Amino acid sequence: MVVLSAARWVRSRLTDRFWRVQEVLKYARHFRGRKNRCYKLAVRSVRRAFVRSTKARREKKRFLRALWITRIEAASLEHGLKYPAFISNLVKSQVELNRKVLADLAIYEPKTFKSLAALAQRRRQEGFLAALGDGKEPEGIFSRIVHHH
Amino acid sequence: RYVRQLQRLQLLFSPTAADARGARQFVEEAAQDFARQHPDVVLYVSPHSGPGPAPVLRAEYLNGTVREELIASKTSEEIVQLATKLANQSGLDIIRIRKPFHTDNPSVQGQWHPLTNKPSILTIQGPRLQPQ
Repeated sequence: MVVLSAARWVRSRLTDRFWRVQEVLKYARHFRGRKNRCYKLAVRSVRRAFVRSTKARREKKRFLRALWITRIEAASLEHGLKYPAFISNLVKSQVELNRKVLADLAIYEPKTFKSLAALAQRRRQEGFLAALGDGKEPEGIFSRIVHHH
Repeated sequence: RYVRQLQRLQLLFSPTAADARGARQFVEEAAQDFARQHPDVVLYVSPHSGPGPAPVLRAEYLNGTVREELIASKTSEEIVQLATKLANQSGLDIIRIRKPFHTDNPSVQGQWHPLTNKPSILTIQGPRLQPQ
């Protein structure tokens, strides 16, 4: 459709206005209804789409975090632990893995996740013993804190 | 060792058009220095006589991408900057990269499926499973 060479008397002339209109319409091609064809409607829709995509970048972080939490919760329930217990005991054992990595481990490395769940369970038991036993028993092995200075 | 991804730079302009003045000045002054500083890039200067398309700087890369940049009404220094920018690029398309990482083998221990953490009695099926 692009006419560049010497046949200048052909009736289809691609003016600059055509290219300016196409710049906007190319972002509206996957829309529904007349706003993917008509420039006047497309301008408004494209502008709103861009504004929404800018604002959604902040929501995306919240959404992905909620997704990871759901997945970690499901995986830890398979191993008999609830999500708050799992996360708090991992933090107490100084395992600083974030939720994204934990979710990926739960999907692609199920045995590693099982060992992490076992670690959290053990630390939970030692926490209970320390809180309820009061004194005479020795301190738990997994409750020791390593200081990096 | 570094292999420059830019194969050749073609400078297409007209010797008489008014907007190709920057291109002509670039050819007269800075083209030789640019070619000497980038010995692995081939610089082609092809003036086409008479009125024709707008002056353009065409860059071809090792992976086959061809990138054209308009140099109409640009000064010689701007063309030099543009040429160095193209020389430092690779030929990959300039779009948003969805993820900065990629693996062909994402799972080492075997991807999770609904039967990974269930007792293995559930995976046995068939007439052999009889209560003894």
